[in-house]
Amino acid sequence: MAAHTTKICLSLGRINGPGFGQYASLNRATYATALSTSNFTGNKGGPDRGGRGAFVRRPRREPGEPRTEKMDSQQDWSAVYPSAASFRPGSVPLPVRMGYPVKGGVPSEKRGNLELIKIPNFLHLTPAAIKKHCEALKPFCTEWPAGLDSDGDLDKHLPIQIETTDYVSAGPSVRNPAARVVTLRVRLSSLNLDEHAREKMLKLLGDRYCKDTDILTITTDSCPLKQQNTDYAMYLLTVLYHEAWKTEAWESEMTRADRREYIWEDSASQQNVLDTLARMATPVPGEGVGEGVGEGEAPPREVLLARPEVQQYRDSVTRLKNEGESEGATLRYREAVKKLLSL
Amino acid sequence: MIDRCGVSPSPFLSQRSLVKSGTVWNNLGARGLHVTAVQCKNHAARIRVGKGDRGVTYEQALHPHHIGHRKGWLSQHPCNLKGEEGAADRALEDVFIRRFMFGTFHGCLANEVVIKRRGNLLIVCALMLQKLPPQKFYFLTGYTESLLSHFYKCPVKLEIQTLQKQAVYKYL
Repeated sequence: MAAHTTKICLSLGRINGPGFGQYASLNRATYATALSTSNFTGNKGGPDRGGRGAFVRRPRREPGEPRTEKMDSQQDWSAVYPSAASFRPGSVPLPVRMGYPVKGGVPSEKRGNLELIKIPNFLHLTPAAIKKHCEALKPFCTEWPAGLDSDGDLDKHLPIQIETTDYVSAGPSVRNPAARVVTLRVRLSSLNLDEHAREKMLKLLGDRYCKDTDILTITTDSCPLKQQNTDYAMYLLTVLYHEAWKTEAWESEMTRADRREYIWEDSASQQNVLDTLARMATPVPGEGVGEGVGEGEAPPREVLLARPEVQQYRDSVTRLKNEGESEGATLRYREAVKKLLSL
Repeated sequence: MIDRCGVSPSPFLSQRSLVKSGTVWNNLGARGLHVTAVQCKNHAARIRVGKGDRGVTYEQALHPHHIGHRKGWLSQHPCNLKGEEGAADRALEDVFIRRFMFGTFHGCLANEVVIKRRGNLLIVCALMLQKLPPQKFYFLTGYTESLLSHFYKCPVKLEIQTLQKQAVYKYL
């Protein structure tokens, strides 16, 4: 049996190489019997390479028909484009054309069209394919926690918000120095602060507090790693909170100038107004004047302070001092003064 | 810009060459530098109109000022966006990959190589002519992919399409 097969092999060899003529078979004989190899130079690599002499190259295999011809209209498209890939004209059964046309011509066809390969395509993201992705991801998803239905719930149970950014780029390295920045946000109303603590906290925070939204924002980027920056931000919040509750000995030396906001009560402005009104001393009819006050004497302090024009003056002065000078504020102040002095 | 310069051995000294070369030759066999007026012509990536027998591809026929209008980009990556790093490294990688492909698949490239980057992944798309048997294409593809992956320490994928003939856009 073995001899039989070898015989077949030899004959096969001969049939395969009709074009090689005598030369190759001679070479094969020399190779097999290990005779001189001087004739060996012409035949490199084996039966695929043609030798010298009269030979016909092995008939070139015709390229098969493209896959588009065999496609069924009900096929599973996600099998054709399972993941992101460049445009393949033989796999996309659409008569797409792309390119600036030659004068009097049409855009180039899809076969051999580099423009179609250059652009990104979304052939792998048909709605059916996306559905399959979602189904595959569902086992890994967990339910949204039950007690967190609205923003109010989120604020109540999870008051601290930490914001970080991750960066993806095209290179071989995943490191990006901008990824270390951490922003911590918390509402001051969710912290347990009394009057003094709140004042002290606002003084400590300065710019980091937004009055309109009542949100304290701490941004840290001084450490090289994101984890370190989050730890630092939490540490800062803790320290702020504890320091706000502490009362130092020197806090009792606080003067009017140290206050964060201007308060009209017990100020020079209030004193001036009271003095001025006392000198004007015209009691308003309908005011509750005590019986001990005579015709030409000034009404008592509380009565004066309760007057509406004094209240208006107080509001305008407070606004001017706290919010700075603006056209509206100055005009309001002018109106208040005119009313006060009955001009 | 073209400056037609000729360096010719001239027995005479020209004033210009004296000034330019800064040497003093008094003998025969002196060389001078002759410069003509400047011709402001763009020559970048252009094949000039000729007899009409040379077929050019879409890529070759459209000049560089058409990029963004009638032509796309051969290499796309986010490192060229504002605030992103690594643009120079990616540019160097692109140049090397193009030369590598040109040499490895010598004579087979039908058109320019398109390079795409998807995160860490480097995708090289090439249009080839059917000059080699498929087995050789497969071998060269595997060789290129593994070699480039080792060079750049990132996964490299080759997407090759073969054509029988080059797709000619017009004849210049």
